[in-house]
Amino acid sequence: MILFPAIDLKNGQCVRLEQGDMARATVFNLDPAAQARSFVAQGFEYLHVVDLDGAFAGKPMNAQAVEAMLKAITIPLQLGGGIRDLGTVEAWLAKGVARVIIGTAAVRDPGLVKSAAKKYPGRVAVGLDARDGKVAVEGWAETSQVTALEIAQRFEDAGVAAIIFTDISRDGLLKGLNLEATIALADRISIPVIASGGLASIEDVKAMLRPLAKKLAGAIAGRALYDGRLDPAAALALIRTARNAAA
Amino acid sequence: MTVAIIDYGSGNLHSAAKAFERAARGADDPERIVVTRDPDFVYRADRIVLPGVGAFADCRRGLDAVNGMADALTEAVRNKARPFFGICVGMQLMASRGKEHVITEGLNWIEGDVEKIAPRDESLKIPHMGWNTLDLAREHPVLERLPLGPKGRHAYFVHSYHLNARNEGDVLARADYGGPVTAIVAKDTAIGTQFHPEKSQRFGLALISNFLKWKP
Repeated sequence: MILFPAIDLKNGQCVRLEQGDMARATVFNLDPAAQARSFVAQGFEYLHVVDLDGAFAGKPMNAQAVEAMLKAITIPLQLGGGIRDLGTVEAWLAKGVARVIIGTAAVRDPGLVKSAAKKYPGRVAVGLDARDGKVAVEGWAETSQVTALEIAQRFEDAGVAAIIFTDISRDGLLKGLNLEATIALADRISIPVIASGGLASIEDVKAMLRPLAKKLAGAIAGRALYDGRLDPAAALALIRTARNAAA
Repeated sequence: MTVAIIDYGSGNLHSAAKAFERAARGADDPERIVVTRDPDFVYRADRIVLPGVGAFADCRRGLDAVNGMADALTEAVRNKARPFFGICVGMQLMASRGKEHVITEGLNWIEGDVEKIAPRDESLKIPHMGWNTLDLAREHPVLERLPLGPKGRHAYFVHSYHLNARNEGDVLARADYGGPVTAIVAKDTAIGTQFHPEKSQRFGLALISNFLKWKP
């Protein structure tokens, strides 16, 4: 599995939200590039970045901060938030983003995901954010009646690199990953699934490494890394040990 | 596969249904065309058609008068990504607002207002009634192999208002009636025509047939 440290951008700064509520934002670092470098120094191998303002606006809003991060690091970076047309997908990939994450547009314009994934195999991921199992869109401000599974199934065989499944009700609350729902999704599709929302401690990392969770491609860690509940060195050591044992 | 044509008391249902039936007959996988007032059926349909004749505010009221229909429609199109075809006022309802006599909220799928057309040439009458060619603004699967441009086929218009879209990218084609008139809009899995494809003969049937084949 890959443990992705998350950097959420709001007004050019690194923040964490609680349950996606923009009014409940805590600023953790004023300098996203410095934060990115610090994650690299801790040994992480892949960054997860969300342009929160972009998710609400429907277009990139923190481009400067993202570009500064891309210049600051050499490990791959995946980016979501406000990516809703092929032009934006292409612009980010050309700037060095390893993988773009399409959320709202995956719900409303599945054709975009399919054509982007066909043109850029392995570089397009789908972000599905669910509240009580139903997918939320527009920066989580609106909830639909469709399930994450229904949407994920649209993209079987489309060449989508990963589905990042976030349980909104847990995000930012440090209640632990919703592994049950995430594994249930992963069991029914062939696209790799990344768990997100609520990762609280080393216990979540251990749970990810159990055989039951072996279908999951990774997990995203946010608040727990910023407030020190999750020791990155210990978490990454566990993952390395598990990888070596498997090899 | 089912195509739901929404019956909300706004005219042209019969001719719309006939045109869709005719276009579907030639398809490899013939679709069942159903005229319906049942929001649950609309929610479950594979494709949805919203016709519309008359004034924007009346049509909006008509849609809201069918309990649950506006929600079922929005959910099916915006979240379940079902292909949608709006005709005339059915297309105008896709806009943020209508400004016909009074300001009325639209479905707000396409940013922009429905405004009175204002031909530069004063001899051009309002309503605009008649046949016009279409100028392509953006390529789209539903326009594939359709003869557009000044030498292309004609579409039949009857209207005094048109959708003035805020984003250029949402407009697929325009007609010229003393100035540009929005003829076809599209966003995500929805398209809409100001003209009446069901009265536009071969061109209209070809367009409907493309829509029925479209897999967004």
